[in-house]
Amino acid sequence: MGLSGFEVSIERPTNGGGLSTEDMTLSMGPQHPSTHGVLRFVVRADGEVMKEAIPDIGYLHRSIEKIAEKVGWHGFIPYTDRVDYVAAMFCNHAWAAAAEKLGGIAVPKRGEYCRVIADEFCRIMSHLISVGSMAMDIGAFTPFNHAIREREYINDLIEELCGARLTFHYMRIGGVAWDLPPGWIEKATAFLDRFEPLIDEFDDLISFNKIFTERLVNVAVITPEEAIDYNLVGPNLRGSGVKYDVRKDEPYSIYPEVEFDVPVGRGELGTVGDCFDRYIVRMREMRESCRILRQCLRQIPDGPVIAKVPRNFKPPAGDVYYRVESARGDQGWYVVSDGTAFPYRCRIRTGSFTAISMIQKVSRNLMIADLIAVIASFDLVAPEIDR
Amino acid sequence: MQEFVDGLIASGAVPAGVPAWVAYLGAMLVFGGVVVFGFVLPVAGATTWVERRIMARIHSRIGPNRTGPAGFLQWLADGIKNMLKEDIVPTASDAPLFKLAPYVVMLGFVGAFVAIPFAGPLIISDMNVGIVYVTSVTALVVVGILMAGWASNNKWSLLGGIRSAAQIVSYEIPAGLSIFPIVMLTGSLSMQTIIGHQGWAPWDWHVFDNPFATLAFVVFYVSALAEGNRTPFDLPEAESELVAGFATEYSGMRNLLFFMAEWGNLYVIGAIATTLFLGGWQIPWALTDAPALRVLLEFVTFFGKSYFVGVLVAIWIRWTLPRIRVDQMMTMCWKYLVPIAFVNLIGTAVWMVVFPHGVPAVRWALTAAAGVATLGFLRRVRYHIKRAKLQRKHLSFNPLSTARVPL
Amino acid sequence: MGLGGYLRNLKEAVATIADGLAVTASHLVRKPYTVEYPDRLPDGVRIQDTLPFRYRGILEVDLEICTGCLACERACPIDCIVIDATKDKAAGGLVMTRFDIDMGKCMYCGLCSEPCPTGAIHHTPEFEGADYSLESLVRKFVKAPAIAYKPKKAGETDPEILPVLERGMRYVGEFASPDGAGEKE
Repeated sequence: MGLSGFEVSIERPTNGGGLSTEDMTLSMGPQHPSTHGVLRFVVRADGEVMKEAIPDIGYLHRSIEKIAEKVGWHGFIPYTDRVDYVAAMFCNHAWAAAAEKLGGIAVPKRGEYCRVIADEFCRIMSHLISVGSMAMDIGAFTPFNHAIREREYINDLIEELCGARLTFHYMRIGGVAWDLPPGWIEKATAFLDRFEPLIDEFDDLISFNKIFTERLVNVAVITPEEAIDYNLVGPNLRGSGVKYDVRKDEPYSIYPEVEFDVPVGRGELGTVGDCFDRYIVRMREMRESCRILRQCLRQIPDGPVIAKVPRNFKPPAGDVYYRVESARGDQGWYVVSDGTAFPYRCRIRTGSFTAISMIQKVSRNLMIADLIAVIASFDLVAPEIDR
Repeated sequence: MQEFVDGLIASGAVPAGVPAWVAYLGAMLVFGGVVVFGFVLPVAGATTWVERRIMARIHSRIGPNRTGPAGFLQWLADGIKNMLKEDIVPTASDAPLFKLAPYVVMLGFVGAFVAIPFAGPLIISDMNVGIVYVTSVTALVVVGILMAGWASNNKWSLLGGIRSAAQIVSYEIPAGLSIFPIVMLTGSLSMQTIIGHQGWAPWDWHVFDNPFATLAFVVFYVSALAEGNRTPFDLPEAESELVAGFATEYSGMRNLLFFMAEWGNLYVIGAIATTLFLGGWQIPWALTDAPALRVLLEFVTFFGKSYFVGVLVAIWIRWTLPRIRVDQMMTMCWKYLVPIAFVNLIGTAVWMVVFPHGVPAVRWALTAAAGVATLGFLRRVRYHIKRAKLQRKHLSFNPLSTARVPL
Repeated sequence: MGLGGYLRNLKEAVATIADGLAVTASHLVRKPYTVEYPDRLPDGVRIQDTLPFRYRGILEVDLEICTGCLACERACPIDCIVIDATKDKAAGGLVMTRFDIDMGKCMYCGLCSEPCPTGAIHHTPEFEGADYSLESLVRKFVKAPAIAYKPKKAGETDPEILPVLERGMRYVGEFASPDGAGEKE
């Protein structure tokens, strides 16, 4: 197994009471049922206990940031879907909002409401996949199917709204492309009425199951200081007890007008900052998203949903750093414009990229089975890491 | 079976010049073949179909329903597909061990059927060490799994094999310790005698004989699940971690042999549990006198009980619970199951000394307690169903609900 | 961990596992959610008819109402639309000789259907596009050279073109516009 330039020494005899032993180097290779995409970890293990797990990324790099420079401001929005296809609305939103900030365009109120509704539905979708995959990686295959079943309902709602189920391309510079179709608000509210008791059922089935909690509690404890040092964001950061949410601390769009809480890990079953905290923060965030959605669906005003933006959009030269609270945390988009119809540079900072860098530190003295739990609890998605 | 062959020889069905041992050998091969090809393999195969259908309903989907009526021929189709697949033996693997491993595992599994009773007179060999033979033979799978893990020349398979060896060997202890209370109650190791000591009614079963026997049943069932590599103990083949554990490098028929052994083992677990704890094939005397009908009813009773306990409940548990980590599995075995099994053993011994003939009141009380617990459980299930019905009312999943407006 | 903790572990394990088992058992008696596409749908239902109007399936071009403005070709970020349109005074306007869409490259984003003034190019609810050769993925919409459509200020009167134009304008009207004229509650 070639290690392609990694400085990992394989032969290191440790003298455990007269027996000379070696560390085993495993390649949790790019094709693996549970690495949430195409990731690779080089694991140096002493039997079941790991010494180190070194991530190897780049298998899903598609030069999306470079493509932005070729296709122009409007044409890039479908590509932003592919940056994180599990939660695509946030990327749409960030790019459109960054371009609007550069061009000085104001989005109508109803357009902002549509954006937030789409965002929060996308957050629920993403968290469903996250908790479902986490349960599947720990060995319970049923919650994944139930989560996907619920996600299908949201998929149907979004399909009615914008025509696609995964790569939405819903938002445009200046607002959103389509208004809410007739009857959609009733369908969405009916879905929320259905979905909230199902979160309770999910909890009954798996969240507090003794085996599940034993696998997650006190595993990979990350203190708040470490979390901040290593740049964790989103549920990973909040699971460690740090109450930071872009929607509350640097609010954008219409978030100041809706009421919601920010769930934070409290170490209720173990230590603050273990895998279970990150998991339960996601479950609670789904409930908060339902709350936000109900408020938005009730208080959405009338009016246009998109502002007037020229087809040949040429924002003045300058740069902007725009952050949104995506499902995986604070997603930052640094966009530089040089006054032409094509952006000069676009740089995306995603939560999974920094989370994966933490794995090497956190994996010391964990077991290989725990590594799976840690990867799942960080909610890594490979497209976000590699772009 | 020996009496049956002796009867055949006496009645002259066997030619005169043939020595007795040849007749015995021939009968063994015939009966063994009938049992293996007529019962074991179809049951193991059909269990895959049952598992896939039940798993699918638990997942809110349908499962195989195209090949044959309700998809019943799916397992035959899978079997044929596996036989036609390319047989890959990795070049760097230890070829003789690699090829031998599935057969050792199958041996460990099929060998148990010699001593498992099917009905009153239907048992291939009612050995006087029946239960010890069964537990010893089923432990042979460890050798096969270790061989598979090592010979695959794959670090992940090796991990799976080692984990499995640790698991199966450890869980032999609580399983064995749980069998001893029953052996003490019966006073014999022979399977048919153990069944004969029980009655047809639930309060005559060993499981409700005294509270320690009930605990012993639970400990035995958990240990047997662990020995069968079933979730929550399916670390050796943890799909999310090791792809397929020790069986990763196997393709085609060799792979099928491994998995048939796993599913068929479920039936063995159920059969042993039924023999020891759940009254075996006992049916009330009053039902019928005709011997053929009795044998048929006993067979149905035994098969029904072992299939339900061994297969259906195991499938249900598998698709509910997540997987236990290696060190937690060891903790559970040595710190929880073994002490409880010891307590059961000593408790049953003390019980037998204090109450030499058992206490009917305790038996009825335990049966009633089990009934009450089941009713409470069903009430909880009804609560979930009611909550689900509420959800369906709110949104009908009708593909026509987002119908396109006609042009 | 004293005896209290030991027994509490046991009790928690039994309670949570029993609850999980109850949930799974309840699923056994609930109806499954599978829609058995494609051969076990209710009578006469084509799944394409049940998709919403905005569904972005395979692209289609109504050449009768295509004005030859090339807005879709310019808007596509992947350059999968190729149009040949030349001004021909003799024939009386813009003559289109080629309108190819390479569905193998198309990413179904909808950027082409947005700027179309008549809704000639639009998404259909078709999604079954699998075929045996790569060439068959290129959809050619021009069978014979055709004259581009010129929208009439007083409204369309040709009975053959009117329904097509109305359908196209429905697609155009579905998109939101800055003066709030999109479909609303």
